[in-house]
Amino acid sequence: MSAHGFKHTTSGPATKALSFRVAGPVAVLAISVVVAACGSTSASPTTKASTAATATPASANLLGASYDTTTASSVTLTGAGANSIEPFFETIFYQYNQKNANTTVNYSPAGSSVGVTDIQQGTVNFGDSEIPMTASQLTAATGGTVLQIPVDLGGVAISYNAPGVPANLKLNGPTLAGIFDGSITNWDDPAIAAVSGVTNLPNLAIKAVHRADSSGPGYDLDQYLIDTAPAWVTAIGTSTPSRTWPQASVGIGEQLNTGVATYISQTSGSIGFVEYGYALQNGFVNAAILNSAGSYVAPSEKSIAAAGAQATSLSPTDFNVVNQAGAGTYPIANFSWTLVYQKQSDTATGIALGKLFDWVVTTGQSDAASLGYAPLPANVVTLAQSTILELDSSAGTPLFAS
Amino acid sequence: MIYEPSPASPDAVSGFVGPGRSAGVRAALLRRRSRFGDGAYSALRWTGAGLFGAVVIGLLIGIGSDSSLALQHSGLGFIWSGTWNPAAGQYGAGILVVDTLITTGVAMVLMVPIGLGTAIFLSELAPRWIAGPLATLIGLLAAVPSIVVGLWGLLVLTPIFANQVEPLLASVPLLGWLFRGEAYGPSILLASVVLAVMTLPTMVALSGTAFAAVPVADREAAMALGATRWQVVRRAVFPAARAGVSAAITLAVGRALGESIAVAMVIGNRPAIPESLTTPGATLGSAIVNQFAEASPGIGTSSIIALGAVLLLLTVAVNAGGQALLRRGSASRPGTAGALR
Repeated sequence: MSAHGFKHTTSGPATKALSFRVAGPVAVLAISVVVAACGSTSASPTTKASTAATATPASANLLGASYDTTTASSVTLTGAGANSIEPFFETIFYQYNQKNANTTVNYSPAGSSVGVTDIQQGTVNFGDSEIPMTASQLTAATGGTVLQIPVDLGGVAISYNAPGVPANLKLNGPTLAGIFDGSITNWDDPAIAAVSGVTNLPNLAIKAVHRADSSGPGYDLDQYLIDTAPAWVTAIGTSTPSRTWPQASVGIGEQLNTGVATYISQTSGSIGFVEYGYALQNGFVNAAILNSAGSYVAPSEKSIAAAGAQATSLSPTDFNVVNQAGAGTYPIANFSWTLVYQKQSDTATGIALGKLFDWVVTTGQSDAASLGYAPLPANVVTLAQSTILELDSSAGTPLFAS
Repeated sequence: MIYEPSPASPDAVSGFVGPGRSAGVRAALLRRRSRFGDGAYSALRWTGAGLFGAVVIGLLIGIGSDSSLALQHSGLGFIWSGTWNPAAGQYGAGILVVDTLITTGVAMVLMVPIGLGTAIFLSELAPRWIAGPLATLIGLLAAVPSIVVGLWGLLVLTPIFANQVEPLLASVPLLGWLFRGEAYGPSILLASVVLAVMTLPTMVALSGTAFAAVPVADREAAMALGATRWQVVRRAVFPAARAGVSAAITLAVGRALGESIAVAMVIGNRPAIPESLTTPGATLGSAIVNQFAEASPGIGTSSIIALGAVLLLLTVAVNAGGQALLRRGSASRPGTAGALR
């Protein structure tokens, strides 16, 4: 539109009248296009070269140490899924590409549910979900058996921005439930004072923020509240945890970890839940949460690792590491699961995938701590590697000999 | 009686020109006619129209069939049932419809006066050296993608609203009732402001075009009758441009109803009956943005698509309502537009 647009154009209104009649259908189309476009960011080489691996690998690589010769020709792997694992994937995929220039990975952190639906429909080489796929989700996969590989161990931080409230404020299930179901609305609420032992809490309205989209962190916190707060179960009317936040009509909802983190960082009185990696990046103060051993623990690499260490019989059907035993255990932790089809139609892609994730669960773990995750325990690395060994070619023969 | 216009047809007009000349022109055209060009143009026209029609019809069929599962599950109550809580398997679009209408309504209340004022200023009052650059700026604003406006709302406006604007509004006597409650920042009001900013350029550009299309003779006639500048605008320009202005408003309303990404970023995504303008809300568009991804196959996905269908119906209904109002408005005031002609 230029300046001339105002000067005696005769055709304007008539043609516009035609165009607004179709605005409805076009708008619906546009929604899907925009949404699809927004979810996709590339994790190709951009940032964080400085965090190069120096620590010793958690375990030996299985599929050969020499990454420069993994593939003869270049392979681009596309993945989509959990938003919570994005800081970890972004860094280590970049590093892997530095070591093996033939393999480029594009990861779209659109959310765990996108990871599941995308792998079901075979639109990506791998998906990622904070919660393993359910039996019915596995049945809906169009490409046969889906292998689920645990790739990282993270925690959900309860972060807040409340001037006058000390760091590592002690909170338990019932007070958290009260904050998120709307029965506790001020920081100086006696229930918070009683649990935290802090007597001079400020008279400041609580602004609770949760995820507006479905999320792994929301699922984990829901699980913790169901385990520890009977009032929460009454309020939400179910004892089955949900990725969709069950109390959407209290507080406000923001999209993805970044949306919640942005709201917390700029709003006084706010409290919300984000993947610990995001809390660390943003320098948030986090609550110390009551665990099943009766102690209050703040999220850290060590306390999240302690939760992972309890997962002695981890499997895609026994994945819950919320509210685990141990005095030093952070109670809201979870493993993230990468989803790949067992039968790989393209052998070169299958081999590249196997080598990539073998590296991710071994050498790649050395970056976990600095990014707000905990390295995988040895038994989980073994589980991951034995799962990777199940990858088959299109003919059904194993891609890797064990 | 001689001057009474007969039900004139183009034939009558060409008859006035004279049969001989008309036939000559026709003959010249016939001689020049390129069979190939005409055929190609006709094919292009029909393909274009057919393709467009097919896309629209296909879209409607797709939306209809994909949302049928949700309608079977919730019945027609889907449209007005109040609870939208996928976590509990409850799907009802009622509150989302209400919030969509409120945000759009408030946005229009904020935007239309400013938009009209700007357009009148640009086409009638502003000196050329201001009108040119200002019109260019507005054109630029129109080109800003909605996600960028949303980011601006999220990063810049949200803290200002949470800390200054909303507490200030709530403290105004009487009016404060409209803005009571927790000052979260993200709210129906903030979403409306963002929508107003997004629709303003469309409004200014289209109504400006409509004003500019009013013949200079109309203005001169009004001035000759001793009208002031304001009276010229009020009595001559505005009535003649009514159709264009209402088209601009309709287009802006359509955009505001359907806007999703930017709204989802600033509305707070709370599917509950709003207590005031500063409480968070959720619109049809924002709910689709937030939940299309998780939508569990089957009823979840179907309900999201049904939200799209409701949004489509709502847009059509609002457009039709606007058209009807316009028609009634112009019918009840016969001759307003032509009074000064």
